[in-house]
Amino acid sequence: MSTIVDIAVSTPGFETLVAAVQAASLVETLQSEGPFTVFAPNDDAFAKLPPNTVNNLVQNPPQLGRILCYHVVSGRWDQQRLSEFSQVMSVEGSPIPIRSHSPLEIKNASVIAADIEASNGIIHVIDTVILMG
Amino acid sequence: MLPDTPENLMQIIGIYKAYAVPMDFYWRDLLYIGERVFLQPLPMFKYLISQEYLDRHNTYSGERSPLRIWRGRGETHPELLEFMAKGETGRRLPRLLHHLWHDRVNMEFAEACMQAMFWHTDINPTFNEYLYSDAYKAAADVAIKAYFKGNWAMLGLYKLFPDMFLEQVRQMSYYANLGLFWEVMAPVFFEMSDIYDEGGFKGVPDAMDFLVNGIFAVAGRPIYHHVYVGDECFEIIPKSAGFTWLYEAALPYVEAVFYRTAPFRGTKSYDAQVHQVPDDQSDFHYGILYADVFPVGSAGIPPTLLMQDMLHFLPPYLQEYYLQHCRGEDDQLIQLVITFQRSFYNVTSAVIQSLRAALYYLLDDPNPEHLMANRRFFEAQMDRLTRPEARLQAIQTDSYR
Repeated sequence: MSTIVDIAVSTPGFETLVAAVQAASLVETLQSEGPFTVFAPNDDAFAKLPPNTVNNLVQNPPQLGRILCYHVVSGRWDQQRLSEFSQVMSVEGSPIPIRSHSPLEIKNASVIAADIEASNGIIHVIDTVILMG
Repeated sequence: MLPDTPENLMQIIGIYKAYAVPMDFYWRDLLYIGERVFLQPLPMFKYLISQEYLDRHNTYSGERSPLRIWRGRGETHPELLEFMAKGETGRRLPRLLHHLWHDRVNMEFAEACMQAMFWHTDINPTFNEYLYSDAYKAAADVAIKAYFKGNWAMLGLYKLFPDMFLEQVRQMSYYANLGLFWEVMAPVFFEMSDIYDEGGFKGVPDAMDFLVNGIFAVAGRPIYHHVYVGDECFEIIPKSAGFTWLYEAALPYVEAVFYRTAPFRGTKSYDAQVHQVPDDQSDFHYGILYADVFPVGSAGIPPTLLMQDMLHFLPPYLQEYYLQHCRGEDDQLIQLVITFQRSFYNVTSAVIQSLRAALYYLLDDPNPEHLMANRRFFEAQMDRLTRPEARLQAIQTDSYR
């Protein structure tokens, strides 16, 4: 089975996420054993951010890495398991609220494709980049 | 929060420009103090910025900027340079004389803002946690020993009272934090003034939207603290620590300075025993959104210092406006700071809208539950501005001058 990174690279619509993960030097981490749960914003989600936001972040890998780590949870959390909790703790260290279980909404993002299995975790595609706070 | 009238737009943009010029000095000198003056035991000359920091190019503005976002210049603003050379007296005297005469930019205001951020420890938890981490203490230790190399008296004191020195380094980290924050805000305000002069803003909401976009554009700017001893750089807070402009500087600044700060000394007495000062530090409300701006000029309170700084750089249309109202030139400091209060309700609106955009939903979201979440968020924000001391109602009337 493919890793989380392999799936993102081979699936159309995740070019910005893949570029961001590479810029933040997180490829190796997300190819490690894990397991991880990744809330993966698609290209449309990144496009919603105001101009310059992503450019500026790509110039600053540690800061970009921190935002990306907010999209990662340690462990394999499928949709059913997520529905039992009101929040999960991100790798970044801040909690991610789960505001709705049906349909599944992670903070202010909606999950548009859930439970994509990878060898080292699970991916949920979201329509908005989520931010700490 | 600020009504959309041409008069309000003119006032707030004019004051942003008057604020941006001294801010161009504040950020440079804050970085100079945090990075170069550092633990100088008698920092008498910390406001006499070095030429290197005066010439320092802005990171986000100007032609030599590595990541240009704003179109303005990257060098020190010419009005600031002229004021530094001539002061209020209009005479070219040595800088030290202008300094001793107190004919200069009031860096004490910038330091008061820094101290507010430093003192309200609960508003910046991630950053503050790092200030007490082993990595920070180790980096600070190396920098302290390098800074006082050969100075056995200071090294002896450091051995006796290490925590006292560490606490000073932590304060220096906040100098750097605020300097990096304002390095971004000064060109934002300059550009708003330029756009207004070109007829670019149609109303107050346009100005707010510009601020919202600006906040997002640089949200990921690294917040760090580097100290230079000679040519050697000591990374007390490295960029790799991951601290960001939005989370570790902008939001704590808004909370500390717009909302909280502390009772201003010299204006009136507070009796803490009858709860005139809140028990809970998080309930402090002495920031610009609440300030009684009338007791101007008393005892060197921080807002007075800022007013005097802004007075030197008012655009002509605002000078003319103040002459037409109240007591004209005699009370223009008060008129000016009331304008400043209006303008910061506009900045607060931009901050609230930015947080809504980042953490909640679109204003025209079709899902009623999302709209209700937005509403709860706005109500929670408004709760802080409905307390009697808040000036929200006042700034919504034209007669409040």
